[in-house]
Amino acid sequence: MRLRASQLTKEFGHRAIVKNATFSVQPGEVVTIFGPNGAGKTTLIKILATLLKPTSGGLEIEGTDAIADASDVRSALGVVIHEVLAYPTFTPYENLKFFGQMYGVKQLEDRITTLLAEVGLQRFTHEPLRIFSRGMTQRFMIARALLHHPAVLLFDEPFSGLDASAKQFVLRRVAEEQQNDKGLVITTHNTELGYLVGTRFFFMIDGELEEVARKDEITAETLLLMYEDRIAL
Amino acid sequence: MKPLRQIGTLVRKDLALQFRSKETLVLIFVFSVLVVLIFAFAFGPIFPERGERGKLAASVLWTAFVFAGIIILNRSFVVERSHSALHGIRLTGVDASNFYLSKVVSNVVSLFLLEIVITPIALQFLDLLNVVTVGVLLKLLGVLSIGTLGFCAVGVLLAGMSTSTSGGESLLSVIQLPLVVPIIIGGAKCTVSLLVSGVVDDWLWLNLLIGCSLVFLASAYLLAGVVIEE
Repeated sequence: MRLRASQLTKEFGHRAIVKNATFSVQPGEVVTIFGPNGAGKTTLIKILATLLKPTSGGLEIEGTDAIADASDVRSALGVVIHEVLAYPTFTPYENLKFFGQMYGVKQLEDRITTLLAEVGLQRFTHEPLRIFSRGMTQRFMIARALLHHPAVLLFDEPFSGLDASAKQFVLRRVAEEQQNDKGLVITTHNTELGYLVGTRFFFMIDGELEEVARKDEITAETLLLMYEDRIAL
Repeated sequence: MKPLRQIGTLVRKDLALQFRSKETLVLIFVFSVLVVLIFAFAFGPIFPERGERGKLAASVLWTAFVFAGIIILNRSFVVERSHSALHGIRLTGVDASNFYLSKVVSNVVSLFLLEIVITPIALQFLDLLNVVTVGVLLKLLGVLSIGTLGFCAVGVLLAGMSTSTSGGESLLSVIQLPLVVPIIIGGAKCTVSLLVSGVVDDWLWLNLLIGCSLVFLASAYLLAGVVIEE
């Protein structure tokens, strides 16, 4: 099992942002979590990424207790969240080289060249990140998340700010990672892309996670109707 | 080996960021020169005795380095927090204590480089450079480096905490200065001794400086995990 979350709860003050989230991710599985703004998706991803400690509940990543031994599991994670997680005065090359050295990535130069070409940033290899548009930054963040061949990928709104070709790249890349038996958790409010990319679907409304169906049990249209009904309640 | 490699990589990154933007380096250099000039022009001519000028020089140097140090420490964490680069570093699985050590090393290097440049300028303005031998100058830099280590040892930990709060940049000076008083007193006393008589004539102050620096380094190293993770 790549990831197992049990009864994860996060409270800020007296307000529960994530309430008893329980689910697991098997190798080759893509869990897609749909939810409107403010539903708690980003908080959940940050907990799964070990960047936030849950108020209660358990989290196992690759069989290790990720709450007690967070630093042991982090190198197994590739994370895309709304923050850049890098240095804007550095270029994509310098950032990837720094993080690659920290992860101990083998044949780093080749890896950087390949990744930057895949995300379409090869022309901007030596331009500082601070001049990048939102979409270009998102492409860089995806490259950064894939740099060290992580076993678990956590993508928070990965399609946000991307143009059509970059969205196709994300869809293609997720399929490849799935075939390589990686475990993926993707949050989005885009049901069309979320359906294309996912193998199991959840709704997250007001901090509560609710399993909807597996891909072979539901069509995209039904999923969209269910989602619209659910958020209208 | 891996921790040492990671610390080396982090230090190189910190120094590259410092020298890339240059804004912090220019800021602390201008600030320190201004402190030296203000003291030199306000008090310089009224102290004909070397002993008095030595005491003044010690005050000038430690005032400049303490406040420049606070600027350096603040900036080194603001860079980590502004685009959540610190989260990126945490995700590499680096041990928080090793991250702490790398920050101490890079801040000590930056501040010590400033001290190497500013010390002769201050001594020249206070008419002491011509009476201080190279040996005394080296001993003085030795004392300053020990003080810098103790100052940064506690400062990195506090900067890590203060920059995570709103208005944290001004908070650092308020919480750090009372804690580093033993280092400032020990360092200033040793500096006065060296500039007046050429030797450290009371070992109490040097022992205080070394002892406090090592205690601060060890305790902050042990606490680093809690501060960085929380």
